[in-house]
Amino acid sequence: MSKFGNYIKGYFSGLDSLLIGMRTSLRVYLRKGVTEQYPENRHTTLHIPERHRAMLVMPHDENNQHHCIACGLCQMACPNDTIKVTSEMVEGEDGKKKKVLVKYEYDLGSCMFCELCVNACPHNAIRFSNDFENAVYQRNKLVLKLNHEGSSVVKK
Amino acid sequence: MDIKNKISNIVPNAEFKEQGDLIAVVPADSLHKVAEALRYDKEDAMDYLREIVGMDWGETLGALYYLESTTSHNRIVLRTETSDRENPMLPSVSDLWKTAIIKEREAFDFFGIKFIGNPDMRRLFLREDWVGFPMRKDYDLKSNELNMSNEVNADTTEEYSLNPDGTLSCKHNVVFNPEDFVVNIGPQHPSTHGALRLRTALDGETVKKVDPVCGYIHRGIEKMNESLTYPQTLALTDRLDYLSAHQSRHALCMCIEKAAGIEISERAQYIRTIMDELQRIDSHLLFYSCLVLDMGGFTPFFYGFREREMVLDIFEETTGGRLIQNYNMIGGVQADLHPDFQKKVKEFIKHMRGIIHEYHEIFTGNVIATTRLKGVGVLSREDAISYATTGGTGRASGWSNDVRKHHPYAMYDKVDFKEIVYTEGDSFARYMVRMDEIMESMHIIEQLIDNIPEGEYRVKTKPIIRIPEGNYSASVESSRGEFGVFLESHGDKSPYRLHYRSTGLPLVHALDSVCRGEKLADLIAIGASMDFVIPDIDR
Amino acid sequence: MNTSFLDYYSIQPVTNWIHETLCSVMPEALAIFIECVVIGVIVVALYAVLAIVLIYMERKVCAAFQCRIGPNRVGGKGGLLQVPADVLKILTKEIIRLKNSDNFLYDLAPYLVILASILTFSCLPWNKGAQILDMNIGVLFVLAASSIGVVGILLAGWSSNNKYTMIGAVRSGAMIISYELSMGITVLAMVVLSETASISGIVEAQANGWNIFKGHIPAILAFVVFLIAGNAEANRGPFDLAEAEQELTAGYHTEYSGLHFGFFYLAEYLNLFITAGIASTLFLGGWMPFHIAGLDAFNNIMDYIPGVGWFFIKTFFVVWLLMWIKWTFPRLRIDQILTFEWKYLMPTSLLILVLMVVLKVFGLVF
Repeated sequence: MSKFGNYIKGYFSGLDSLLIGMRTSLRVYLRKGVTEQYPENRHTTLHIPERHRAMLVMPHDENNQHHCIACGLCQMACPNDTIKVTSEMVEGEDGKKKKVLVKYEYDLGSCMFCELCVNACPHNAIRFSNDFENAVYQRNKLVLKLNHEGSSVVKK
Repeated sequence: MDIKNKISNIVPNAEFKEQGDLIAVVPADSLHKVAEALRYDKEDAMDYLREIVGMDWGETLGALYYLESTTSHNRIVLRTETSDRENPMLPSVSDLWKTAIIKEREAFDFFGIKFIGNPDMRRLFLREDWVGFPMRKDYDLKSNELNMSNEVNADTTEEYSLNPDGTLSCKHNVVFNPEDFVVNIGPQHPSTHGALRLRTALDGETVKKVDPVCGYIHRGIEKMNESLTYPQTLALTDRLDYLSAHQSRHALCMCIEKAAGIEISERAQYIRTIMDELQRIDSHLLFYSCLVLDMGGFTPFFYGFREREMVLDIFEETTGGRLIQNYNMIGGVQADLHPDFQKKVKEFIKHMRGIIHEYHEIFTGNVIATTRLKGVGVLSREDAISYATTGGTGRASGWSNDVRKHHPYAMYDKVDFKEIVYTEGDSFARYMVRMDEIMESMHIIEQLIDNIPEGEYRVKTKPIIRIPEGNYSASVESSRGEFGVFLESHGDKSPYRLHYRSTGLPLVHALDSVCRGEKLADLIAIGASMDFVIPDIDR
Repeated sequence: MNTSFLDYYSIQPVTNWIHETLCSVMPEALAIFIECVVIGVIVVALYAVLAIVLIYMERKVCAAFQCRIGPNRVGGKGGLLQVPADVLKILTKEIIRLKNSDNFLYDLAPYLVILASILTFSCLPWNKGAQILDMNIGVLFVLAASSIGVVGILLAGWSSNNKYTMIGAVRSGAMIISYELSMGITVLAMVVLSETASISGIVEAQANGWNIFKGHIPAILAFVVFLIAGNAEANRGPFDLAEAEQELTAGYHTEYSGLHFGFFYLAEYLNLFITAGIASTLFLGGWMPFHIAGLDAFNNIMDYIPGVGWFFIKTFFVVWLLMWIKWTFPRLRIDQILTFEWKYLMPTSLLILVLMVVLKVFGLVF
């Protein structure tokens, strides 16, 4: 008898648990979805936190000047050989030879956004930006030149 | 009795090194004797083998055995080596700890050390036709061309034994008979949670044997570490167990800080602890989602993701990353907390406490779910310890193994929290451990969130970090078990050997004994309830 | 009770007129032949259109259950053209031939599945006088025809020469054969209640009240049992273990591609519709309008909705119920499915049948 009683009990408690589940799912059914509609929300609700690391940039000021002194610390810090700094020695006004940045190459395709380069930089010449829409069709387009054409280093 | 005396009593010529961890150097021929004595010691049995780390010391090849007692939580490391580089042999301890079977396979795979008496001496991660042993220091990186042909897996394993005259003899153990109905589950399969392959022998719907094949996404992170500087090695820990990214990195930072003698600020400790717990919630929510999805429930899957999204948003606001947060640094954390952080975390906890009943209503109480989970895939406490299945899986079997409790780090000795332990050892217990831990993690965060002290979030470190010679280790309770970092430094700016204790490898290893006799559908559910992450196994 | 609306609902005059007009310009045999072809085309077209509607509905409904939006890009804001686009895609996909598979059976299987589905589909009572296949044992014919589908599934799994498909097919076979019992017994209970086994007869017997009200307790129970068994027959969650993608990737149709896969997919959705259609026929009065005895004004308004409209409203309501079930529960395991059928559902349906007969004999049903 107790076996049959258990059978009946299990029958109804099982049924009850199923109905509770259905009640919960119905409650969610009547709620609004939580989907974010990208790219429609690009200019409305899309929120990219300021610290999000999407791509390395070298900020230039209005005079087309940056802070990079071509010391190469970032290149050394990078675990993936993502950064390649090309520099040359130029004689300054005071007659001293000085290292000047020629080309700052950055391979977005092999970057793993560890931020070691930014940490290594003594002059805050580079930082990560929020521009995350970086898809391209050719891999060579991922190799970027970060210093602008004709730019120079900020004079102290 | 002191552990040193115990070992000295058995092997009088044992040496002890105390540079970092306490290491007992034991000659190879008496290793098994020492291990057996420690394993079955009456007062303080070292019944938990944390890790076997294969080593190449140039002249010699060998291994480090990290042991722990599950009662007193004392730890000891055994070191043994052999100078025969051509045909290195060490005695196997697989008869003392079952987890040694797979750990010794790993050492064989990378160092070519043959463990005498291990029933399964196949390669673990690399192809069976791989040439050479890549973690040896004299390994030629060009010795293996890119091989595009299909790998044929042998149906037998090698077991080596030593003849009285000193020669090796090899016995073949059968994994699958020709008449077995073997189904490949994976490497491309919806529910192996990554590229894991389970060769499964079926009898109708019933699982007869499971043979996990790992290594499909092996990236050689440990080999790479040997040529990276210490700050650079940090970036790779996030890529191990991506659901415990923060905790894995925490362990490595702790290990390096301990070795280099860097003292970090209390604020950083608070931040790390809170982030660890948020990461645990994140991981357990995903665990819920995946378990339910693997059992065919699509809707609850989205419930988990709905709330996990909020955790990820909190992460992104402060750390700049969602999955790969990149936040812990040597000496602290990468950036200070975002001004909104505390507010958002409190909002999230309030929301989570108010909504978690939905998770339980739709799934936990459901009669289909309970009958599919309860009493299925039982792992006994003895087996859990022997297989070294740490984390929620071990705690579901009644093995109290929480590193946060037994070896407190960061703020864990200052907060009040319960260690969730179930005794059933079935899939349902494994599930409930995780669900209860979500609540417990929120409880921990609530105690810390309002009391974060002011101060530096990162202490200044030298630009080039060198670690004094020695062996160091650190372990944390990651989302799915004890994650360990084992570091041997020779005083350079990059590690001589940096090994990680995978949380998932013992779980995958235990699958065979847990799943035998259960149904095919249970294999999937058990796998999900074990909660392994493949990149962490393959490293 | 006033049953005059039945004549008003009938489309028989229209069909008779068409037939007579055709006969006046050609021999009767030719006229019948043309009518058959036209109806065949209509059935297939309706089948395809309904599949599109159902797939769209499934996507939207399941999205709502999962806090999502569902299709919302292709074809305006509602994503209305998403499913037609998918259909086009499936049509253009290559049908892949497998090495070492039984090619004849492999190609035959999807047709068997779709044949079973269309046969049962034609038995649905769309409106008064608009039933394509109507016979005095219509209900039994539906049960028999739907079983052909199992053969297709078994053949598909067997001929694909793949371990996953094989397991899926065997699971499906074991399950469908078991659940046909419960389904048959509940149908039998309703036949007892309406005193006929012809589908049009069952509908017309509900002119003065739907079966679910007339048969009260046993009928409501039978409705629930029928829905569960029907859900299993249609291979839908939580009984979708023949496909069980977490275990068997896609179960019995893992190896199919292109239109052959499309047939399985189509049949799956239409089986859902057919299950719902039969359920609304047996329990909810088919194309009968909703009437409340005594409220004539209300009843008159209800009569303005044509019979086919009523049929669709009821069927889609049942479809929605089935979707609700599917998108709530985790999947059962094979042994649980069989336990559930033999230990719980079968005894329940037998009990229902006995109860129904007793109530009928003693005149305790309306």
